[in-house]
Amino acid sequence: MLEVKNIEKYYGNKNNVTKALDRISFDVADGEFIAIMGASGSGKTTLLNCISTIDAVSAGEILLDGENIDKLPAGELARFRRERLGFVFQDFNLLDTLNIEENIGLALALNHADPRLVKDKVEQIAEKLEISDILEKFPSQISGGQKQRAACARAMAAGQSLLLADEPTGALDSKASKNLLEIMTHINQDMHATILMVTHDAYSAGYAKRVLFLKDGRIFNELLRGGRSRSVFYHEILDILALLGGDISDVF
Amino acid sequence: MFFKLSLRNAKRQARDYLVYFVTLVMASALMYSFNSLIFLEDVQMLAKNIASLSVIIVFASIVVVCIIGWLVSYTTRFMLQRRSREFGIYLLIGLENEQAARLFVLENLAVGGFALVMGILSGCFLFQAMRAIILTLFGMSYAFVFSISLRAFLLTVVYFVLIYLSAQRKCRRRIRSMKIYDLLYLEKQNEEAVIQTGKKRRKIFAASIALGVIGTILLPMKSTGILGAGFLIVFLYGFFLSFASGVPAFFAQRPALKYRGQTLLIFRTLTAKLATVGTLMATISLLFTAVLISEGCGQCFHALFWNRARQNASFDLFIGIEGELQEHTPYLDYIDNNIPVTASRIYNIYLSSDAPVLRYIQSHTKYYAYYDKDTLMKFSDYAALRDMLGYPPVTLAKDTYLIHCMPFLKNILQDYDKPIHPGGSALTPGGIYTEPFNQFQSSGNGHQYILVVPDEVVSQTSHRIYAAQTSEPVNDAQFEALEQIQLDGSRPDYDWLSVKSREEAEAAFSTVIFAFPLYYLALILTMTAAAILTVQQLAETDRYQKQFALLGKLGMSRPEMTRALRGQFTIYYAMPAVPPVLIGVPFICHLGNSVEPGTLTGPASPLYIVSGTLALFFAIYGIYILLAYISLKKNVLPEPE
Repeated sequence: MLEVKNIEKYYGNKNNVTKALDRISFDVADGEFIAIMGASGSGKTTLLNCISTIDAVSAGEILLDGENIDKLPAGELARFRRERLGFVFQDFNLLDTLNIEENIGLALALNHADPRLVKDKVEQIAEKLEISDILEKFPSQISGGQKQRAACARAMAAGQSLLLADEPTGALDSKASKNLLEIMTHINQDMHATILMVTHDAYSAGYAKRVLFLKDGRIFNELLRGGRSRSVFYHEILDILALLGGDISDVF
Repeated sequence: MFFKLSLRNAKRQARDYLVYFVTLVMASALMYSFNSLIFLEDVQMLAKNIASLSVIIVFASIVVVCIIGWLVSYTTRFMLQRRSREFGIYLLIGLENEQAARLFVLENLAVGGFALVMGILSGCFLFQAMRAIILTLFGMSYAFVFSISLRAFLLTVVYFVLIYLSAQRKCRRRIRSMKIYDLLYLEKQNEEAVIQTGKKRRKIFAASIALGVIGTILLPMKSTGILGAGFLIVFLYGFFLSFASGVPAFFAQRPALKYRGQTLLIFRTLTAKLATVGTLMATISLLFTAVLISEGCGQCFHALFWNRARQNASFDLFIGIEGELQEHTPYLDYIDNNIPVTASRIYNIYLSSDAPVLRYIQSHTKYYAYYDKDTLMKFSDYAALRDMLGYPPVTLAKDTYLIHCMPFLKNILQDYDKPIHPGGSALTPGGIYTEPFNQFQSSGNGHQYILVVPDEVVSQTSHRIYAAQTSEPVNDAQFEALEQIQLDGSRPDYDWLSVKSREEAEAAFSTVIFAFPLYYLALILTMTAAAILTVQQLAETDRYQKQFALLGKLGMSRPEMTRALRGQFTIYYAMPAVPPVLIGVPFICHLGNSVEPGTLTGPASPLYIVSGTLALFFAIYGIYILLAYISLKKNVLPEPE
């Protein structure tokens, strides 16, 4: 589904160049749940920004379903994002003036869905994510976990094929984190959504099927869960992080 | 150190408050200019009772001080709210409440002081413009003389001190009593007030609309005006406070409508804003209503005074006498010896035996009759008078009559084709003329119309007239001498004395006394209300930035975002202006139609006055809207590189 081929990303000017991404290549298969880990400054968010077309790569190419997203004209980028990509951010990014139903419906409205069907579609997805009872509430009236589930609902409402999550559990307590990760697993397994999640939390990464480790803008290692239990996988992730030289506080 | 920090923070927010600062500069410029009028000698010499202008300006200034006081007080409180976190941090790291309060007050006083200096400097030029307008109104020559009036300067400073003292004292007290927690979370408290719903509010919404309609009907009526004003105040506050819940309820029942285009974003942004600033919006709407009514009244008065003067003062000197011919003698004696007359005529106005034209007019329009018969003038007198006034000569065909009327009657009388029968004759209509002809008052050339007939058919005299043109305008002393003759108690009837120079001076005086202060208030009110709306709007820049950045990430295209921003912006600025237009326009129309018929016609007709009022209001309001839009667009949706 997603092919990342030798991408590089530089920041700065002639005299002071910072290499944020250095010849990164990987593929994401349809229906995969993949986590990208690394310490602060390792290039995780830059990579996500490049995949989500918010930032452009300096070299290399990113193909989504065979389409080179870097070659898309500026006018097409907005359409591409709203039709193909769903976003879940660390700080939820729900609009505080809209209630939850409207926040989810917004994604459909942006996709020019038939206005008469928006409400029904929102109700369907809310039921799947168990947030039907908070649809009338405003973001300030619900918990962080509920906000993040609403953000997931918005990310998938318009049938987007790739869900990009940037530290989705970063602002949640452990119970809400667990709940959200189970929801994401449900989205991945039962609703066949492809998920690319950036995180520095080993517990969160343990829910993925594959973990890519970034260090100084390069892929340092890759770990496949295979048939192992989540607990075993989690401990393997911790081992790799130790090799990466991450601080224990980065791990939890 | 703290002052430096605070200055840097204040600078960072300058973008949001530039409009406020410019408004303060403009307000102080206006205050200084009007104060200068009180003290300027050549304005004081214009008319003997112009001293009453000073009283009116002082009263208007008191209102202005209250309004600008509100602007300063509101904006200071708003700025404190926006910077509360910063002040909370100062307290957290050891600054005392008193020091923080002093810091904030000093900052505001510096801004106010700077605005005052800039305002007075621009006021010097604005005053010259006003002086030029006033001198021109009084028909005097104007020469630019740059001057600063010390007394006007001091009075403006006193007004500013009053404005700032009250606002800063309140703020200082507030900061002194605040706890660190309050300051750190003040912004958050405001955000939580966004959602307010409920059945009660929906009922208020419906009731306020009903009160608004009734109030608009009652307001222009003499006996129910105050009640109407009361209803309208309740309507505005009720409407804006309940709107935030009325509209979501409307859209909740129509989800298809809600998700169409940019509707969702636009209506939610507005209702969220209204939920927090509903009272403010209502107050601004109330101010705008006052603006439109003030401007409308100002324009009506201005047009009324000048149209009356134009109609009353076609001759340099005009005396209408109800009594006998010898009654003219005292006037003529004085005029012969004192006034340089170039042409004059003494003539009679006659009454017809019946009133077919009068009845025809009364059946077609509102007309207050002074005579119960049609008034007549000999053609020889008419031709001579036209010649005196420099109007093109006319002829009277055999067995015809001419009509000379005020312009508003022309449309009615041009369809009148019936003959009249003065002195047993039979005359048919021969033409209509509408030049100014002293037809406004009862003792003039007929009341609003006169029938010009062959000399031989007239018989019954109504009154006599002396009309003259002079080589120089009749001056005040000459007018007063004539007035003494007019007021002589031994005279049996009341004469009507009309002097062109005097009529024009009175129109100028009335304009300066009534229209100028109304414009002054209207300008200040518009600027204050528009500045507060704009400060509110620009303070939301960061929130808008975040919102549109997110919408961009979610795939909203730039044209769609521009449309959404423009939609939100248009409705935000239109909302407080729509109720005032709906209230103000019928009021001005009613006012324009309630003066004597024929006074407000042509370019001074109520329709033109309404258009002029709206144009003036939206021109000033438009400047604020444009400034805010440019700033917001630049920051929220910057042009891609």
